[in-house]
Amino acid sequence: MSKDRLTTVLESWEAVIGLEIHTELTSLNTKMFCGCPVQFGGESNTRVCPVCLGMPGALPVPNESAVEATILAGLALDCRISRWSQFHRKNYFYPDMPKDYQISQYDLPFCVGGGVNVEIDGDGCAQRLDRAAVGADPDGTYTTRIGITRIHLEEDTGKMVHVGGSEGRIAGATHSLVDFNRAGTALMELVSEPEIRTPEEARRFAQKVRLVFLTLGVSDCNMEEGSMRVDANVSLRRRGDIEFGVKAEVKNMNSFKALHDALAYEILRQGDVLDAGGTIDQETRHWDAGKKRTSSLRSKEYAHDYRYFPEPDMVPFTFDDEYIDRLRARLPELPDARGSRYMAEYGLPKHDAAVLSGDLELGDYFEQVVEGVGVPLARAAANLVLGDFSAYLNAAGSTPTDADVGPRKLARLIQLVDDGTISGKQAKEVFAEMVATGEKPRQIIDRLGMRQVSDSGAIEEVVDRVLASNAAQVAEYRAGKHGLLGFFVGAVMREMGGQANPAVVNEILHARLDA
Amino acid sequence: MAISEEQVRHVATLARLGLRDEQVAELQVELNDILVQIDRIQALDLTGVEPTTHAAAITNVTRPDVVRPCLPRSEALRNAPEQQDGAFLIPKFGG
Repeated sequence: MSKDRLTTVLESWEAVIGLEIHTELTSLNTKMFCGCPVQFGGESNTRVCPVCLGMPGALPVPNESAVEATILAGLALDCRISRWSQFHRKNYFYPDMPKDYQISQYDLPFCVGGGVNVEIDGDGCAQRLDRAAVGADPDGTYTTRIGITRIHLEEDTGKMVHVGGSEGRIAGATHSLVDFNRAGTALMELVSEPEIRTPEEARRFAQKVRLVFLTLGVSDCNMEEGSMRVDANVSLRRRGDIEFGVKAEVKNMNSFKALHDALAYEILRQGDVLDAGGTIDQETRHWDAGKKRTSSLRSKEYAHDYRYFPEPDMVPFTFDDEYIDRLRARLPELPDARGSRYMAEYGLPKHDAAVLSGDLELGDYFEQVVEGVGVPLARAAANLVLGDFSAYLNAAGSTPTDADVGPRKLARLIQLVDDGTISGKQAKEVFAEMVATGEKPRQIIDRLGMRQVSDSGAIEEVVDRVLASNAAQVAEYRAGKHGLLGFFVGAVMREMGGQANPAVVNEILHARLDA
Repeated sequence: MAISEEQVRHVATLARLGLRDEQVAELQVELNDILVQIDRIQALDLTGVEPTTHAAAITNVTRPDVVRPCLPRSEALRNAPEQQDGAFLIPKFGG
């Protein structure tokens, strides 16, 4: 599956993609409609009660914090909060759902409308063939607004293990085991408008939504463990057409890469079918990350007919201005605002601001470093955090939160460069030692006998010696070969064991040579 | 009649009910009787009456996010026809 093939298909076909993002509210103490605790894993059926087991007569009562979390998500994503809202029953049979209906929301969800701006840069820009028309920069970078249709609240299902088939698949299984620990966990469903046009846009949109939810602290959004699940509806239409084609729903992508790759595959598959004069079946398809393809679930289920009706066990919700304003006041600084602040207050370049505000933990870490060094050194802090520190995180497979080098130590290192104790080059060495030994920068500098000599008297002495013993080069330099400056700097630094302040060395060399 | 035999069979399928032919005929009559009552309600002049889904005029009933005791697993599984490793064992389905 090459990128070229994707481009070829996208030249004649435009992809129309909408996402459904299910997020378990893992930050809650309890489930959506009962007091059973919310946790991942553990012994089967140990966190269940009559409500989440669907026992007759058990009465579900909504978790107020789950409702608040959903309204917060809506406010963070520019949605309108419904004045009048309620739960509905969605009726279908499946063994992981004990009541044979799911309490969900139908025509009166908590949040309606909204959207996020998604920035596309790098290789992914090429997938958007009409990027010039959407205002792309010369390097291809563009921003697109993806609308949100709605955000509603519902309950999660239990989990099944299929026994006797291959790889735990239901096909060929002899029986299944059901664990209802997850059943009834609050599940927030976000539905996007079908305004996504490329796999890369889908990935960036989902990443942005995840970042907002992480910032709000409503979920750990762990795609591998399934606390965030992204399904995609994708169809193709001829470029220039207005009407949508027949769509397929793709499921089982448990990483952002899988989401991207599954969509790229599905666009190629549908393009091939349509180019050959075939038609697309409206069906659910399963992404197999190992085989890198989607396949039809061929479920024998009947056509969906959920017969939604208002949940009689629960009264409706009204949200007035006071309630909404109270929650709005609880919103933390959101990623876009954070990025803008980094540019405006710290003077960071756009790219650096985007990377730091695009990663909640890294952004928090960066801010702690800035707290230590002060705003005037924020750019130096960004350079170190995005440079050596990020390289170390990648190499160590670590996260900012559990990094061996804390923000206070990093701040100290920046200060030691700023006050001239060591050079930027020496700082790299010190950082490597900090990672290796866990020592404080000062200890390392003392241990290694590192000193940066800024005393111009001492440097002048060495400069004069170096110039005297390289008379030929001095003559060449003065005759116009200014590239030799580096040669002199190197010679002085060598002479001084790398401890001279390069800025002072440069200054003195210029004074002597250009005189 | 408003509800066809085919619709009765469809609804029965959705509800996972296995009906004999004579039961389908009986239910078709009964469901249509219910619809006649609905028609009478729909014929009422309800100008100025707000639609409602509940009899009680109360809203926003919630509970605090506080953990309450769960069932012991033996209790949770007590009515399970079959169980294995603490899970409900169910026969082969779908697939």
